[in-house]
Amino acid sequence: MHIPDGFLSTPVWVAAGAISLPSVAFYARKAQVALDEGRIPLMGVMGAFVFAAQMINFPVGVGTSGHLVGGALLAVTLGPAAAALVMTAILTVQALLFQDGGVLALGANVFNMAIAGVLAGYLPYSYWGSGSRRRAAIFAGGFLSVFTSACLAMAQLVLSGVPIPAALAGVSLALFVVSALIEGAITVAVVSSLQRLNNGWMRKSEAAGRPRLAFVLVAACLIGSVGALFASSMPDGFEKLSEQLGIAARAWNLFETPLMDYEARFLQPEWLRKSFAGLVGLGLIYAIFLGLGRTRRGRLSRSG
Amino acid sequence: MRHVVLERWSRSDSILHRLDARAKLIVLLVYLVSLATLRDVGSLGIAAFVIFPLAGLPASRLPIPALLARSMLVLPFTLTFAAISFVAGEPERASAMLVKSYFSALAVLLVVASTPTPALFHAASSLGAPQALVVVLQFLYRYMFVVAEQAARMWSAALCRGAKTSRRSRKQSMVAASGMLAALFAKSYQRAAAIHKSMLARGFTGRIPLIELPRWRRADVAFLGVGSIFLLSARLLPILWP
Repeated sequence: MHIPDGFLSTPVWVAAGAISLPSVAFYARKAQVALDEGRIPLMGVMGAFVFAAQMINFPVGVGTSGHLVGGALLAVTLGPAAAALVMTAILTVQALLFQDGGVLALGANVFNMAIAGVLAGYLPYSYWGSGSRRRAAIFAGGFLSVFTSACLAMAQLVLSGVPIPAALAGVSLALFVVSALIEGAITVAVVSSLQRLNNGWMRKSEAAGRPRLAFVLVAACLIGSVGALFASSMPDGFEKLSEQLGIAARAWNLFETPLMDYEARFLQPEWLRKSFAGLVGLGLIYAIFLGLGRTRRGRLSRSG
Repeated sequence: MRHVVLERWSRSDSILHRLDARAKLIVLLVYLVSLATLRDVGSLGIAAFVIFPLAGLPASRLPIPALLARSMLVLPFTLTFAAISFVAGEPERASAMLVKSYFSALAVLLVVASTPTPALFHAASSLGAPQALVVVLQFLYRYMFVVAEQAARMWSAALCRGAKTSRRSRKQSMVAASGMLAALFAKSYQRAAAIHKSMLARGFTGRIPLIELPRWRRADVAFLGVGSIFLLSARLLPILWP
């Protein structure tokens, strides 16, 4: 989903641009270092390949067909940094020459598809790309790449104040899942054919390491922002049981906390209260586990 | 392909074509930012942002109906969300979406249709776009036509062999299509390696040079100054004197 100009509110496109610009500059610097290896022409031609590949339709059943989006395929062949740069170039050409996506909205589109989409597409491959679950990892990469991009685009529209009723959000989510499944299937099919032709084109999953922090941030943004928007308003099992037993009526608060009832009450908009609380919660949990991990590692190294 | 038209348009001659690509890009950014931050599209302030690209249409000496029609490519996406906003009881938001997205697309199209692509990429580079990204963009644009034609030839060959008429299972069709893409990938990959070797042989240093380097002229500075002041005044005057 390429967002055109005129849709996003100023804070959203400025924030997306503020993330995308330095990220693209970072990827470009990494690519510049690799200039001697002849990867820059390769990246350009691979970008042209993704354009051309979109002309070839895949039958996906029920009289419909889909085409490759390419984020995950680029990530597993070129690596995540080069793939992000190629996707940025593709999005720029689409915005300028095909009127597909806006120029100011390019920051948001690059964040959704070239940064988060490519990282999400590479995540399963980086962990399970070399084992017996390789095909499943590539399928999951294709799925996650499209699903993450689409959900982020929808979340940005919602953050910009575009009114999206709950029913429409549900239908959109279902469509995103279908598109993501198609991308996963096409990515697996193309990668299998590529491996038959020349296995050397596939990037080894251990080669680039596992940029865990970037993946955790992408996952946190996705879960915190989108998950909270679609969160159920029904009470969970424990709350329901306590209500039925009458415990809830006798309970009282010892003190007020800033994130009580999973809401940041100091924020005005309803959606921002839950999203912010979700993100803070994820951050706290990550910090706790990071601390526990470091303590445990310290003890193990002392004992070893 | 659609972008071939754009290539032909950008090689024409007019006042707009002769302006420096950097001046056009800066004024375009001022236009887009001013329009994007405009809150009330129902006020008189919007008139300046409608007039500005419309005035550029005759100055470009390009087919005006074709330019207006091509800008409508944004409308399927915009109309969907505008209709949702309208039904949700926000007609102002719906009209703002339509006006902003259409005129932003028209302004971008005017600049792209009046600037040859190599000059456009060079201007982006001199305004601070990362060099590696610009080189990837140049290669992408250069080989987009070549690889797309290769894909079209492969698809024709597949049709000649009964790709659409033969009764195959979905799995067989999927294998055939993925095989085609893998072959296209292989050809693109090999082409990239050959291109790099031949470019190195011709002294490629990482930059694709322009035949003639652009120079700022008085007309470029005047366009940059007048255009930016006009747009910024249209955006800021209603705030300073409401």
